[in-house]
Amino acid sequence: MSKFMAWIDQRLPVSNFVKNHLSQYYAPKNFNFFYFFGALAIFIFILQIVTGIFLTINYKPDADQAFASVEYIMRDVEWGWLIRYMHSTGASFFFIVIYLHMFRAMLYGSYKNPRELLWIFGMLIFVLLMAEAFMGYLLPWGQMSYWGAQVIISLFGAIPFFGESLALWIRGDYVISDATLNRFFAFHVIALPLLLFALIYLHLAALHTTGSNNPDGIEIKQTKDTNGVPLDGIPFHPYYTVKDIFGLSVFLVIFTFVVFFLPEFGGYFLEKDNFVPADPLKTPEHIVPVWYFTPFYAILRAIPDKFGGVLTMGLAIFVLFLLPWIDRCKTKSIRYRSKEYKIILSLFAVSFVGLGFIGMNPATPVLTWIGRIFTLIYFGFFIALYFISKNEKTKPLPDRVTMHE
Amino acid sequence: MNKFIIFLFFLFTFPQFSFGASSSIDLRQVQIDLSNTSSLQRGAKIYVNNCLGCHTLKYQRYVKLVDHLGLDKSTIEQNLIFTTDQNGEKTKIGSLMINAVNKSHSKEAFGVMPPDLTLIARSRGPDWLYTFLLSFYKDESRPLGANNALYPNVNMPHVLWWMEGVKEPVDSELSNFKYISSGSMSVNEYEKSIQDLVNFLTYVSEPAKLERYTIGFWVVLFLVLFSFVAYLLKVEYWKDVK
Repeated sequence: MSKFMAWIDQRLPVSNFVKNHLSQYYAPKNFNFFYFFGALAIFIFILQIVTGIFLTINYKPDADQAFASVEYIMRDVEWGWLIRYMHSTGASFFFIVIYLHMFRAMLYGSYKNPRELLWIFGMLIFVLLMAEAFMGYLLPWGQMSYWGAQVIISLFGAIPFFGESLALWIRGDYVISDATLNRFFAFHVIALPLLLFALIYLHLAALHTTGSNNPDGIEIKQTKDTNGVPLDGIPFHPYYTVKDIFGLSVFLVIFTFVVFFLPEFGGYFLEKDNFVPADPLKTPEHIVPVWYFTPFYAILRAIPDKFGGVLTMGLAIFVLFLLPWIDRCKTKSIRYRSKEYKIILSLFAVSFVGLGFIGMNPATPVLTWIGRIFTLIYFGFFIALYFISKNEKTKPLPDRVTMHE
Repeated sequence: MNKFIIFLFFLFTFPQFSFGASSSIDLRQVQIDLSNTSSLQRGAKIYVNNCLGCHTLKYQRYVKLVDHLGLDKSTIEQNLIFTTDQNGEKTKIGSLMINAVNKSHSKEAFGVMPPDLTLIARSRGPDWLYTFLLSFYKDESRPLGANNALYPNVNMPHVLWWMEGVKEPVDSELSNFKYISSGSMSVNEYEKSIQDLVNFLTYVSEPAKLERYTIGFWVVLFLVLFSFVAYLLKVEYWKDVK
């Protein structure tokens, strides 16, 4: 075996790679619950690719056949229903995992120096993932697929001067049609997954350059032993591989429970109206995007002017890119930050979840007003953070990481 | 903090499960039991004899009823397949459950094309279907002499009147009815038959339901046990991390 590996290593540095990124890659030993979600996100990405390949084998990207081909998968393809439910449930779980992963970065300041680029790559992945999910949702060609896409793409039409032409260019037609379905299929199955793959690679490359942050927000590379190994670091393999296997298996208990027992999730993962084939002449009563878009959708609706709403929604995502520079506090982890920061971050979390609820429901005047308040809190967080973080009263940092198991 | 996050997680992923019905009358609850094979068989019989003439089940194949409803092929061919294919030959058992109605003709007769009902139990829900089928009443102002309390001015006639009989509203609120002629069944028997029919349509809307709960039970059980083993492995490895 060692002879074989030597032969390989002369030609491809496999052993070195394993050493540098697994067996001698040192991760902080104090990771908590929130540190499962990065590995889980990679797992779901692979799951979506694999189930997606199997779906593509039987799916037909044709406005006349798409809906029927999905039902064909659900009924006549062996285990087709399981593949499809894993893919549809996987999409929702991807967002649950990504939102928690992002919130983790906000809790422990993982976006701060020296990890700004890591955060930017992550944000790009998030934006692409939203595009990927949005285009994938059109493919079953149900009523909600159709009208959801119609509403979202028409938003581009609100942009002055060239908006209408832009919307036309995206759709390839004056309404959502076969042309739209075909191009969304192309983007969903090849263009965006390739880009996602590249960005995930860059995200991980950046991570392995700086090393992971941790719940204490101190750099483990600052205290090393005589061999240059961080005192608070442990080799990723085997320690975090076994820990992540445990995390993954608990995740899979929840995931498979939903796949087998609640695949529609009360109409939130698979909407009821999407079991009706797309009908361009019949608008559903309530057009609601899938749950993972609703926080941003609520921000859009909070603004009375359509173009203003589109801008605000875009800004809500864009402002996250700037987080490493808005937050000027040197202390990373919430454990050692001021009470003020804890308060505004909690308010931010509440407003985000609240906006999600509001976006799921029909726009009543009361809900719209609550949505406006939450929108103010959402943006208020970034403004408050900019000023609070300038001269924030933080607690003294420990020299070494602390364990809270 | 962790507890708060887990709370948020559940708050986030478990929004209210209710769906608002847009009609004025309350939906009646129906007991769905997909393990009751004879109920599914009775439902299939009612459907093929009364509904399939206009409403296709175009994603469902007859042959699936062999495994799912415990019927043998000859029973299906003799008792459930009444249509012919394009060549004029009797529809094959592997075919989809379509009908012979001419689209333009049915549009002329009913004003709309009667919808395919394969997925109706998923888009409307069993309770809605059950209530709908129990809510027909006599209304001479409608072209086909019947109206529906749940779905006012629906174009569908009361096809099952020969089973239920004909009822008339007592008040203008459509909450109470009296029968002016009786059908082949008592009210109780009719409700049971509609339950069978809705049960059948629920099965047709998602045949995977027959197996996914059973398989899911074993999958989840395996993963729970696996998680336990994975936990022990993690603890073993992490013993030396101080």
